[in-house]
Amino acid sequence: MDLSGIGNWALAAIVVVPLIGALLNGVFGKHMDRYGTQLIAVGSVLVSFAFAVVCFLKLHALRELSPEENVRLVYHWYDWFSINTPKGPTTISVKFAMDALNGVMALVVTGIGSLIHIYSVGYMSEEKSYARFFCYLNLFTASMLILILGSSLPLMFVGWEGVGLCSYLLIGFWYETPAYAAAGRKAFVANRIGDFGVLLGMFMLVAVCGSFEFDVINQNAYLLTGGLDLGSGPMAISVATVATLFLFLGCTGKSAQLPLYVWLPDAMAGPTPVSALIHAATMVTAGIYLICRLSPVFALAPATMAVIATIGALTAFMAATIALVQVEIKKVLAYSTVSQLGFMFAAVGCGAFAAGFFHVFTHAFFKACLFLGAGSVMHAVGAHGDADITKLGGLRKYMPTTRWTFLVSCAAIAGIPGFSGFFSKDEVLVGALSVGHYFTFAPWLGYVVFGLLIVAATMTAFYMFRLYFLTFSGEYRGGPDHGDAHAHDDHGHDAHAAGHDAHGHGEPHESPGAMTFPLVVLAVGAIFGGYLWVGLVNVLNHDAHFEPWVTWLEPALGSIGHADHSNAIYAVILGTAAGLIGWFWARAWYFTPNESPARLAAAWPRLHQFLFDKWRVDELYDATILAGSRGLGLVMAGFDKAAVDGLFAKATATGVQAASFAFTRIQNGVVHSYGAVMVVGMLGIAWWFMVPHVKLHASEPTGTEVKFVAGAGLGYEYRWDFDSDGEYDTEWTAERTQTHDYAGKNLSAPIVVFFTPASGGTFGAEPRALSAGVGDVIHLNANELGAWQKDADQATLPYLQVREDGLYVRANSAKVRDGMQPTDAELTIGPGRSVRIGDARLTIGFLARATVRVRNAFGYERTTTRSLNLRNGGSAGETQAHHDGGSAEPLAALRAIEANQP
Amino acid sequence: MQVELGHYLALAALIFGIGAMGFLTRRNALIQLMSIELMLNAVNLTLVAFNRWNPSNHTGQKFAFFVIAVAAAEAAVGLAIVISLFRLKKTVRTDQADSLKH
Repeated sequence: MDLSGIGNWALAAIVVVPLIGALLNGVFGKHMDRYGTQLIAVGSVLVSFAFAVVCFLKLHALRELSPEENVRLVYHWYDWFSINTPKGPTTISVKFAMDALNGVMALVVTGIGSLIHIYSVGYMSEEKSYARFFCYLNLFTASMLILILGSSLPLMFVGWEGVGLCSYLLIGFWYETPAYAAAGRKAFVANRIGDFGVLLGMFMLVAVCGSFEFDVINQNAYLLTGGLDLGSGPMAISVATVATLFLFLGCTGKSAQLPLYVWLPDAMAGPTPVSALIHAATMVTAGIYLICRLSPVFALAPATMAVIATIGALTAFMAATIALVQVEIKKVLAYSTVSQLGFMFAAVGCGAFAAGFFHVFTHAFFKACLFLGAGSVMHAVGAHGDADITKLGGLRKYMPTTRWTFLVSCAAIAGIPGFSGFFSKDEVLVGALSVGHYFTFAPWLGYVVFGLLIVAATMTAFYMFRLYFLTFSGEYRGGPDHGDAHAHDDHGHDAHAAGHDAHGHGEPHESPGAMTFPLVVLAVGAIFGGYLWVGLVNVLNHDAHFEPWVTWLEPALGSIGHADHSNAIYAVILGTAAGLIGWFWARAWYFTPNESPARLAAAWPRLHQFLFDKWRVDELYDATILAGSRGLGLVMAGFDKAAVDGLFAKATATGVQAASFAFTRIQNGVVHSYGAVMVVGMLGIAWWFMVPHVKLHASEPTGTEVKFVAGAGLGYEYRWDFDSDGEYDTEWTAERTQTHDYAGKNLSAPIVVFFTPASGGTFGAEPRALSAGVGDVIHLNANELGAWQKDADQATLPYLQVREDGLYVRANSAKVRDGMQPTDAELTIGPGRSVRIGDARLTIGFLARATVRVRNAFGYERTTTRSLNLRNGGSAGETQAHHDGGSAEPLAALRAIEANQP
Repeated sequence: MQVELGHYLALAALIFGIGAMGFLTRRNALIQLMSIELMLNAVNLTLVAFNRWNPSNHTGQKFAFFVIAVAAAEAAVGLAIVISLFRLKKTVRTDQADSLKH
């Protein structure tokens, strides 16, 4: 076939056609009849499928030319935006690329998607919100195709979020039922937790590789082996490990692994085709796809791979144990999906990327078939939401097509030889057994994973055949209780069920052709899908060395190096045995109903209840995380009520109200109270004018001259006293500016002793005024004097006393120098001179203090004093005090500024 | 006894105080108007007294005439307000004149 006429734009067409379908149904769906809606919905997905096939064939043709290379079809549509990374700017483009890996995935999504769309036409035929359903379904298909065909992480993330959104919308499709809406929210929140991991992982990859493109990241994966550097140098843990762990967190959310799997079983609240398409066949495998896509990166992080394998195996085991005892069809299938996803993660965790992805492929067929079969059964018996298998039975004679396709799919998932699941599950087991020393820190891990998977595989076969036998064998046990179903609510699906079954009392019946046709196609896929691994032709030719699946995918996937396949035969034997044992076991217990299961449950009631309650994980989350966040919410609500509403809003309002109350009392409108207030104000003003008010200001001294300026006032007269002797030096005068020279003052004026402490043996510390007042003894702190002792044995501080003629100094046993001369004599130093004690210095200054007495026209007088520390003509800070009398002022210790002095 | 400036001022202050107290304590608008007149006249007395002790010009006496004129105008306006109040409230009690409040 010549495909050269079709350009790579077809890649974009694969994505865009379902998107247009979603738009048309979303915008015009209300005004169209059902035929228009289903024509657009099913048609768009079929066209998309056709484009996918064309692209795949083109890719295949190119691979024929260069079989060893990872050939890609690339369609660069447009540049989206650019950002700066530590490695320089990078552009994020809307660019679609198809290679071996996502080519297969695109076929699965569009192919199975088409079948499920067709099935939905029959299943949802009575639904009121028909167009809304198909709009969401198309939007989902488009998002999923963006996810897998996007050539870069951000574009993939658009699809990743898109499928999450559609999943939320479709789980809560019947949103009138609160429980269904809650299930949708739960799915969304669990996925959001994972998405945060995807974003962080993405940013780490781009920070190191400098690009968002998958091929660039994979080519530069070796860069990621360096230690993680958060700014304090590389750490022992590599970037690859941390980034892949974050990405894997996203995968656990999207692909329902421990610990985020809890949303998937609840997601069965959505319509059954949604469960088949989104929550079994396609969206939940996005995590596997992401790991396979970045497999060269993951292969460099053995620690992450070990985590993935362990989580996968544990999930497979745990979900299988839960599925053993569930009694609702879709619940069993949901836990089976979680379990099978665990198998896939165990495989990719063990480096068997091709095997894990192969299980994605086969699982898509048989799980979609099982879900659609379950939907067919529910349709037949008029069940709503889910169907209790203990009330079914004997359906094989009513619905043969459903029965046969269900049986085939059960055989496939159980791993019965010859069916597709047999091949893929065996390859998963081989992968676990072959990982060997890739986990250098735990070479035994592969065997543990293998053991868990074998047990899980046995349980899988058991619970699937239990489901099959209870549903289809024996006699029909009356179907679901319709009283319950109708009490539940009253939406379209119910009406649909009731319409068919005349209130549920009719016989079960086979579903219409639109529903059985996809079942048959999927069942055929469930049988023959497995032969892609070994190649059907090769089986017939006994040529086991050519594996078309691996050959096809090999260039697109990373590798963990040489795996040891010598034990593969044990995996095949044990895997086959697991499937057969499970089948025999289920047949013995459930083919003809007997008491064995009930006896076992009675023997271990607590274990049975524990499994039936799904390991009580939901309860655990409820008690820890949810209770914590609810508690936080309560605290926040309390804070909001008490602090925000109460304190900020109400208290402010009350305060304003109280203030306004006070002001309204003043503004009382009664004239004589206004008059009283006026009189009080007038009295206040009168008092102010009766009493003199004056400020005294001292300007910077000029030498020893200081200029004082007193404040002006009406009719003020001043009298000055400059030497603080209590007698006024001037008569009453109206002159308010006076200059006084303090040079050569007699010592009866108060003096100030400035002390400059020693500072590391040098002068220069901030001087301070110590004391002044005749008769005062000055006590020095020895620590501030430096080396002051003449003789260490005799250490007595000098005696200092302020006297009328200066500072009296007796050296005692301290080093005292008058100027530069050491002296032992008693001495008295006058103003302007200094003496050194050790490394400290004492300087005698004096206090330029003026007192002014002010008198106004009424004869009232008032005294104001202002002081200024004068030191050898230098200036200093000042202080001011007001007095009503003329009494002498005690000297305050004042801040002083060191003057230049030799 | 020699009558000094202080005596005049003391008398004026006494009259002013009587006027102020009367204005503040009585509720009859007419009596309050009379109290205002007392205060104005006390001021007039101080003005004239100061003028007597500063006889170089007659500023105080001129000012006193102004005050008398203003007092006459005030009395006319005040009585008009009292009549309006009486028409409105059927009373001349000022504690009933609280429309501003409501």
